[in-house]
Amino acid sequence: MTWHPRERYGRREFIQRSAAGAFALSSMGTLLSACGGSDGEFRPPELDLARPNHPVTHTLYDDNPMIASGLDPEAGPLKIYNWNGYLWPRIKKDFGKEFGVEVEETYFSTMDEAITKISSGAIDFDVFFPAVDRLGRLVIGKQLQPLNHDYLPNLAKTVWPSLQDPFYDKGAQYTVPYTIYTTGIGYRTDHVQATPADFDNPYDIYWDEANKGKVFLLDDSREAIAHMLLKNGITDVNSEDPEQIELAKSELKSLIGAVNVKLSTDDYTNVPEDRAWVHEMWSGSAVSAQWYLPEGTRPEALGYWFPTDGRGSIGNDAITIPKSAKNPVLAHHFLNYLLDEKHGYDNFVNYVGYQPPFVTLDPDRLVSDGIVPANLKTAVVRESDFDTGFFQLELSPAGQKLWQTAWAEFKAGG
Amino acid sequence: MAKQHDGVTRRRNAFWAALALPGVVWLVLFFVVPFYAIIGVAFGTVDPIFGTPIPAWNPLEWSYEGLDVVVNGLVSSEGAFRTVFLRTLVYVTVAVALSLLIAYPVAYFVARYGGRWKGPLLLGLIAPFFISYLMRMLAWINLLQDDGWVNDVLLWIGILDQPRNWLDGRASSVILGMVYGYVPFMILPLYAFLDRIDRSLLEAARDLGAGPFQAFRLVTLPLSLPAILAGVVIIALPMFGDYYTPDLLSGSPKTSLVGNQINLYIQGGQQRNVGAALVVVLMLMLAVLLAYYVVVTARTQRRLHG
Repeated sequence: MTWHPRERYGRREFIQRSAAGAFALSSMGTLLSACGGSDGEFRPPELDLARPNHPVTHTLYDDNPMIASGLDPEAGPLKIYNWNGYLWPRIKKDFGKEFGVEVEETYFSTMDEAITKISSGAIDFDVFFPAVDRLGRLVIGKQLQPLNHDYLPNLAKTVWPSLQDPFYDKGAQYTVPYTIYTTGIGYRTDHVQATPADFDNPYDIYWDEANKGKVFLLDDSREAIAHMLLKNGITDVNSEDPEQIELAKSELKSLIGAVNVKLSTDDYTNVPEDRAWVHEMWSGSAVSAQWYLPEGTRPEALGYWFPTDGRGSIGNDAITIPKSAKNPVLAHHFLNYLLDEKHGYDNFVNYVGYQPPFVTLDPDRLVSDGIVPANLKTAVVRESDFDTGFFQLELSPAGQKLWQTAWAEFKAGG
Repeated sequence: MAKQHDGVTRRRNAFWAALALPGVVWLVLFFVVPFYAIIGVAFGTVDPIFGTPIPAWNPLEWSYEGLDVVVNGLVSSEGAFRTVFLRTLVYVTVAVALSLLIAYPVAYFVARYGGRWKGPLLLGLIAPFFISYLMRMLAWINLLQDDGWVNDVLLWIGILDQPRNWLDGRASSVILGMVYGYVPFMILPLYAFLDRIDRSLLEAARDLGAGPFQAFRLVTLPLSLPAILAGVVIIALPMFGDYYTPDLLSGSPKTSLVGNQINLYIQGGQQRNVGAALVVVLMLMLAVLLAYYVVVTARTQRRLHG
């Protein structure tokens, strides 16, 4: 059980403690406390782990205020820190033209890498796209600045009501949503003998020896372990119960012997290019996979399974503004720009393949308009999925360690 | 008079010693300092929230938590680290042996029979390696695919009757990838050494009645031992730290190496001290290998010159 820090001590004491903690978190603090040799003494504020049944209102800090309303945008250049291939280049160009600024994008390839760089404080990105499961750490470390909603009118206009005020960031104080996705199983209809739906337990398809050497899990400890848990009927995909994680680990290990399972996050090319016949897959990758099919292979060769009752793994990514942003006003405008109905839609259908959570976006029309092939309609995310699905969320440090150790042991291939 | 002479010698010695300065500065800056940083992280603690390492510079304040995890994983018979260390050792041994089998005849041929084609031949051998390692491995992915050229050729010759999935996570693909990646670094020192072997030694051997094979076994091979060892060390060291070859050519946990585990722990999470401790343990093992190299070369030198 975790508590909101405010419940445990007074506001003043909390601010003092978190200031000390945040100081120790910054690279400078790390260095100093290491040199001083008295590390381990400071007590950082505890993470308040957001869960659907435990919404979290993140702390606002006096020394980390939001920008004032009505300011003019800065002269740029706007610096964006993002996953590779996660933003349509045209968006950058058009935004730059509209605001008369340069837009620069820097990529990261794992969230860990991004968090390390952001928390070093050595760089000054204006816009950062973190996963929701790191949010608490980023806020406590004062790496993000609170958002001024006066600059974000599109949030109320286009975004699902549930994500305008999400449980992981009540009041959308630090984040606006970017894309939503489910994690299901992608497969090649032209190669597999049985599709996931043919199995009593669809996750059993990973063990189907007919696909030996062509079975992939996402190279992501959270995603891979989540599917092992779900296979065993454990719906808490944020479980920190050592027995459950041990079970997931032994399931993973048994996949090595059964099908020589492989790991990759290039699901959107592995399946269309025939390297994989069965692949744990993000819904957005299922949509974009059709763009990577070799000539002569029709989109019907692709399949995507997600539980029809919506009880599967889901998630969403967020957009934030780092505290160290040099162009915070411009950054707010950029967030609002991406939340614009047209821009968000164009970004999705032309390049990214991951759906924005817009009320204006009718899931049924995605299929009828031919954006998503009919056989992949399971890859379309609906707001109701967020009522039934299981959200991957922030783990405690101990939980993170538990998951990583299990994952490392599996990856050692013993 | 004698005193003055001493002074000159001392000055001269100082001059020669000063030539070592750039090398020493380089080593201190880019080896000693970073390596101590790794030691600091390995024996340090980790920030409880972000997982960023808090290095311990003072040995008196070292925490052995990270090292404990590594040692436990090595000692226990089912430990994950033992599995990857053994697998790495096997892969590197096989890959080095294969590299030697390929590199030695090539270097020998170029050195002995290259004649005026020596330069172009060497250039031709090394040219593919102007392309980055990563690009070459990516190229292999294409070649090894189900419908790639490797399968095409093997089917055409009749060695296979149906395409083989070379990328299904098999050890052989990873080992061959490593051999391909590092073999030129074996050829070069071997060539440099073989090229310098005094032909009159071979002629003397032949004059004294040795056949061509005997002359090779008794003269060339012992003489080239230091070069073989140098080549082995040069390619074995980076192979021990390799993690992208198995990532690219396999992706299966069954072929993951020590480098992959280090990468996993260092990249993120709450246990970067474990990753750094893995580096330290690997370095210690490699130090043993290097010490052996130093001893053997010293012994050979003494035998040759003494």
